[in-house]
Amino acid sequence: MSDTILQIKKLNVVFPVFGGIFQHEVSQVHAVNNVDLDIISGKTIGIVGESGSGKSTLGKAIINVLKFTAPDVRVNGDIILYPQTDNAINVLKIKPSQVKLYRSDVQMIFQDPYSSLNPRMLVGDIIKEPLNINTSLSTMEKQDRVAWLLNKVGLNNEQANRYPHEFSGGQRQRIAIARALATNPKVVIADEPVSALDVSIQAQVINLMMDLQEEFNLTILFIAHDLSVVKHISTEIAVMYLGEVVEYGNTELVFSDPQHDYTKTLLESIPHPDPVGREKRKEERLKLERFSM
Amino acid sequence: MTQQIIKSESINHKRWRKFKSLKRGYYSFILIITLYILSLFLPLFINSKALVVQYEGDYYFPAFSEVIPWVSTYYDGNMFGQDIPGAANFRQLQKSWDDSDNWLIMPIYPFNTFEDITNNENRMYEPPSTTHWLGTDNTGRDVLARMCYAFNISISFAFVLTVLNFIIGISIGGAMGYFGGKFDLFFQRFIEIWSSLPLLFVVIIISSIIQPSFALLIFIYTMVNWIFLTYYMRAEFYREKSKDYVSAAISMGQSDTKIIFKHILPNSLIPVITYFPFSMVGGILVLVSLDFLGFGLPPPTPSWGQILYVGLSNITKWWMVFSPIMAQFFTLLCIVFIGEGLREAFDPKIYSRLR
Repeated sequence: MSDTILQIKKLNVVFPVFGGIFQHEVSQVHAVNNVDLDIISGKTIGIVGESGSGKSTLGKAIINVLKFTAPDVRVNGDIILYPQTDNAINVLKIKPSQVKLYRSDVQMIFQDPYSSLNPRMLVGDIIKEPLNINTSLSTMEKQDRVAWLLNKVGLNNEQANRYPHEFSGGQRQRIAIARALATNPKVVIADEPVSALDVSIQAQVINLMMDLQEEFNLTILFIAHDLSVVKHISTEIAVMYLGEVVEYGNTELVFSDPQHDYTKTLLESIPHPDPVGREKRKEERLKLERFSM
Repeated sequence: MTQQIIKSESINHKRWRKFKSLKRGYYSFILIITLYILSLFLPLFINSKALVVQYEGDYYFPAFSEVIPWVSTYYDGNMFGQDIPGAANFRQLQKSWDDSDNWLIMPIYPFNTFEDITNNENRMYEPPSTTHWLGTDNTGRDVLARMCYAFNISISFAFVLTVLNFIIGISIGGAMGYFGGKFDLFFQRFIEIWSSLPLLFVVIIISSIIQPSFALLIFIYTMVNWIFLTYYMRAEFYREKSKDYVSAAISMGQSDTKIIFKHILPNSLIPVITYFPFSMVGGILVLVSLDFLGFGLPPPTPSWGQILYVGLSNITKWWMVFSPIMAQFFTLLCIVFIGEGLREAFDPKIYSRLR
């Protein structure tokens, strides 16, 4: 059953570059270039690519925050949420009546847990914020939901009365995940959620995300540059290069049989745990092969 | 063993604790606040009107009438059987009632700021003595009384000026940073033009046309002084809004007002809060220098600058130079100490230079 939850059609994101005496537009940066993606419900889609390939911009275009930090940006194309239903939401031309649904169904987990949580707010209030905006729960229900969410991400209820600076990076990312899940979203965009964390913590957070994905039947757009992480978590993989999706398919397939040259280079760049040993074994294997002939 | 739930300390609470631990700033803060609050009730301490008068079975509270705004402050001499024209002279009353049933209690320091040589007891240029602790000035007015009332006026002026500047500067600077684009551009150019206004000349020109008042001076200075705050606020807003927690707030559909007041503003106030005391110092100095030049508050208003001016034109009358300079010195020193402590308390780096 292929059930498309998010459809991206011909998405272009262009940042104009200003220069000269009169600050006129001298050139453009095509951060995202004609991207078409059909994202299937309940899957984890890994988006990989080198830095500057437009993967974070793609994520930010989907949650529609680009205009805020870069007012001159031009976003063209269509991002359609629930394309197969009558209630399709075109994110870039959203109707006011759809904003609430869109803002509660699409959430983002940010890269840096040190800047994605407001240092002046208690953890409980941070998680409660999306509930305040998008739901009409009572205070008690919100309290319960916060406690439940904290439990789900492996923190305890007492920690709701603490400030973000009292937590480690991994714990902060758990808080960010709890906040993203507060309104029961259908699509979660994870923008390099583990790249700011230690390797041991990375594994914990990734396993947590996988568990939660299974439990809530989330569709996760997992943006990362770490291929081993993506291989571990995602079922589909989209390889981006210079703003374009050059390869999109099942993770196993892409890893075992890359089609595009860029994908091949990218896969070769994965460091081997024992590079010296790899060379030695390769020689031995060749020797054996020669011997057996 | 009982489990103790430790309530987390907010950043501001921590900062307040740190500020308290910096003794110099903290004691200066307590001192200035206490003195200012006391100075709001100055008519009860330094006044030529009696605190309590018992005259022929009736009680009167003339001094208190000056603290309560809607009560008439005028007490006619005839009311207390005093045979002089105009307002009652309570010091004389006290002497004349020595051996009668009527009595009155004078404030600790029984002189006010306006009584000059028209009152027969007062002399010009009286040196400091037990009656006039800091002497009298060129019209026989008591210097200490004027100094104390001037303290209240100076601090009030600086405080109102600073608060207004902060409100306007923070709103405009914040809006510039938050909305950016054309709005930002317009205000940047506007500020560049506006800030080239020669403020002192404007004040001199205006005060030569109309009599300056407290409100007018505040208005003129606020017109220009809000500008420097916009620089800080604009930069802070630009920096904070690019942080992920703001993006997160947008992605959950938070409104602009909530994002500004709940997320960005609390995180961008640090540089302006630490600037507050220094801005107060600036405000006090502005008033002193304007009064010294004669473009400040209208003449009978007690002010340090005016006393200093009289003192400098009669340099042998040392008490009129000495007292305003010392008063200014200690007030400004205290406020600078507060500023220093605040800055230290808001500094994320921990160093113990001031301990």
